[in-house]
Amino acid sequence: MTMVEAATVAEATGIPTTNMISIVMFSGTADKFIPLGVLAQAGAAMGMDVEVFVTGFALMAFTKQPKEPQFPAEFAAMAPALMQGMQANNVASWDTMLRQAKELGAKVHVCSMMSGVMGLKLEDYNDLVDDVVGAATFLETARGGETFFI
Amino acid sequence: MTDETPHTMVDSRGSACPGPITDLALAYRRAKVGDVIELWATDPGVEPDVHAWAAKTGNEIVSIENEGDKIVVVLNIVRR
Repeated sequence: MTMVEAATVAEATGIPTTNMISIVMFSGTADKFIPLGVLAQAGAAMGMDVEVFVTGFALMAFTKQPKEPQFPAEFAAMAPALMQGMQANNVASWDTMLRQAKELGAKVHVCSMMSGVMGLKLEDYNDLVDDVVGAATFLETARGGETFFI
Repeated sequence: MTDETPHTMVDSRGSACPGPITDLALAYRRAKVGDVIELWATDPGVEPDVHAWAAKTGNEIVSIENEGDKIVVVLNIVRR
């Protein structure tokens, strides 16, 4: 599709035609980290630009001494069976998937406001993190693409 | 396709979604127009995912065969 055609389709249908997905990673629970890894890696494999914005309690999994995400209480009883099934099916860990996505060009931004709240600076984050940005920067980056809120 | 056509084998057997499509994307990065990529996978998502990937990247599916113990996908790389 040419740029002109893409613009026409976007105007007529309201469907974004940019080649980008953005993922707002808000939840810090282990179950939510699985789709983060899967969608980021799949998007990057499809040749899409992938932009991840990490905020809320999810920040704690991106520090140099990361806090291992825990399952929410309502799923705690099912967690061992899920983890066993994931292992049996060779499902990669969320950070392995995100690392693979980054190798294919995905970017990970952390929220400046929540970083301030938790007393974290760029140097406190691990190598998964590209930069610390404000919400306006992320919204401008994500504009025109599709956004997932996890 | 001739005998001289570069034929890249990608073995993703045992790898769960999105592993096979990622392995394909990594092979595609190194491929040139005219190359053939053959992908082996066991994840049942590979068939619809390869259709989606080919549509997105503008490449051609030659065949997708379910051989029981593996799914064999052959792609012509026609676009970079």
